[in-house]
Amino acid sequence: MDTRKREERLRIIRQSEAKPENILEILINLQFNSEEGYIDREIAAIVAQELHMAETRVYEIISYYAMLKDKPEAKYVLKICNSTPCHFSRSEEVCLSLKRKLGVPMGETTEDGLFSYHYIPCVGACDMGPVIKIKDTVFGNLSDEKISSLIDDLRSDKIAV
Amino acid sequence: MKEPVLLKRVGKMLDPTSVEEYIKYGGFAALQKAAAMNREDILGELDTALLRGRGGAAYPLGRKWRHLYGNNDTPKYIVCNADEGEPGTFKDKLLLEKDPLSIVEGMLIAAYVFGSNDGYIYIRGEYRHIQAVFNQAVNNALADGYLGDKIIGIDGFNFNIHIVSGGGAYVCGENSALLNSVEGKTGRPRVKPPHLADVGLYLKPTLVNNVESFACVPAVINMGGEAFLQLGTQDGGGTKLICLSGHIKNRGVYEIQLGTPLDEILYSDEYGGGTATGRPIKFCHFGGQSGPIGTSRQITGRRYDYGDFWSNKLTVGSGAIVVMDDSVSVVDYITNVLKFFVHESCGKCTPCRLGTTRLLELLQNFQRHQGRHGDIERLKKMLEHITYLSACGLGQSVSISVNSALVGYRSEFEACIS
Repeated sequence: MDTRKREERLRIIRQSEAKPENILEILINLQFNSEEGYIDREIAAIVAQELHMAETRVYEIISYYAMLKDKPEAKYVLKICNSTPCHFSRSEEVCLSLKRKLGVPMGETTEDGLFSYHYIPCVGACDMGPVIKIKDTVFGNLSDEKISSLIDDLRSDKIAV
Repeated sequence: MKEPVLLKRVGKMLDPTSVEEYIKYGGFAALQKAAAMNREDILGELDTALLRGRGGAAYPLGRKWRHLYGNNDTPKYIVCNADEGEPGTFKDKLLLEKDPLSIVEGMLIAAYVFGSNDGYIYIRGEYRHIQAVFNQAVNNALADGYLGDKIIGIDGFNFNIHIVSGGGAYVCGENSALLNSVEGKTGRPRVKPPHLADVGLYLKPTLVNNVESFACVPAVINMGGEAFLQLGTQDGGGTKLICLSGHIKNRGVYEIQLGTPLDEILYSDEYGGGTATGRPIKFCHFGGQSGPIGTSRQITGRRYDYGDFWSNKLTVGSGAIVVMDDSVSVVDYITNVLKFFVHESCGKCTPCRLGTTRLLELLQNFQRHQGRHGDIERLKKMLEHITYLSACGLGQSVSISVNSALVGYRSEFEACIS
């Protein structure tokens, strides 16, 4: 890992006070800051070292919390809520639309590394289901056309999330 | 509702994090009033108000506070549970985003009563942008002397609020799991007893209340316990935030007085406005995934309050009302509910980890019309097993929704047996 990257990571760890209680916050911040949206071995090792804990403890946290990832992610991970209010507001059709548009099945990343999609539990946007969540942004009241233009806009950097 | 209590400032304040705006619309008046009151009297008002916990368990808040008050160990921690993850529930999000200082004020009154110096608010990871809003509100309160040292000029009244992010684990909404997560551990529930009021955060006495519960506290102090009680019914005072979703026309969060007729909530234009699909309502799922399903017959003529609901085997819970029209198969619905529990079971105890999985498999057999003779009895037995042997509320309450579906729509399950 180059020094600049290491410094940046140390800065993120230290802005939260480097103590074991803050591990979840630190890992979330590191992940949001990472290029591929996941905690790689190097990041996990720095966290373990800085918080004076075993690397297995760091991985215990990573594997327990659904938000934390230990594998690289697509640039845009489209998360489709499939808890009951959304499920019965046609969230399955959202998947079909995405499959048609992106040409990959659920859980796989498009060849250009830009998109993948999967189900997640409730995101608390039940008043506008079906929804897709990308990072912090929720796109609601979706239709086939809306999904299609959302993908086009993301691809051409017309909207940023 | 004519006069909103919890939502009175929502949408009016130009900047919801601004102390000045908050005060302009009546904010921090309750804190000033409470600080001039005897602590026992504050507890008395909360008892009279019969404010029930708004997270779902509906335990009287006054009783919970008294339990903690009776413990002489120090320090005492004040924790706000903002890990709103219950499907169909999105009301805490509204308060956190649009009136965060009302939550701060509720926590401050608690801090005053218990002499606490440290408070934590655990906000679910999915609400990352709201964490930023809340953080701004906390910083503004700090700058204006409503947090920090010598709050509102009172010597020894020192309190800070730490914001903690969740990591996407539903079970962390369970209070003891939440405390473990705050401590930097995996968020798995603890075995209770001991009660958290005796052995809580860092093994010290701890108060954990829901966002809406804390936001109700200033309202109780402002209007007095009796007036708050009068807003609701004898089984529970105040107003309640409800979340309408599913096939209802006007999906969203509404504030209603406890005791409002359910028909009004579902059909009046002010609230639900009937179904969006124009089809009749088949059932409503109340209070979250672990709440009961109410059949159309069961929900007719109900009042939305704790007593009337309990006596008809329904619950208010978190305030979620998921409305389904008659196109939905109850077997499909309940299978989807089980998928959620399988996903969110933390894995600590076997009855829940394996039990939910086996239940889902059985329900999927019903869904494929491959149920076998005796499967309904098998289902019931498994439900009993999970309810009595699981360690925490997640596993213990799985049976509520499934049982209510079985009781209300047994013929639909029987029709799936080949």
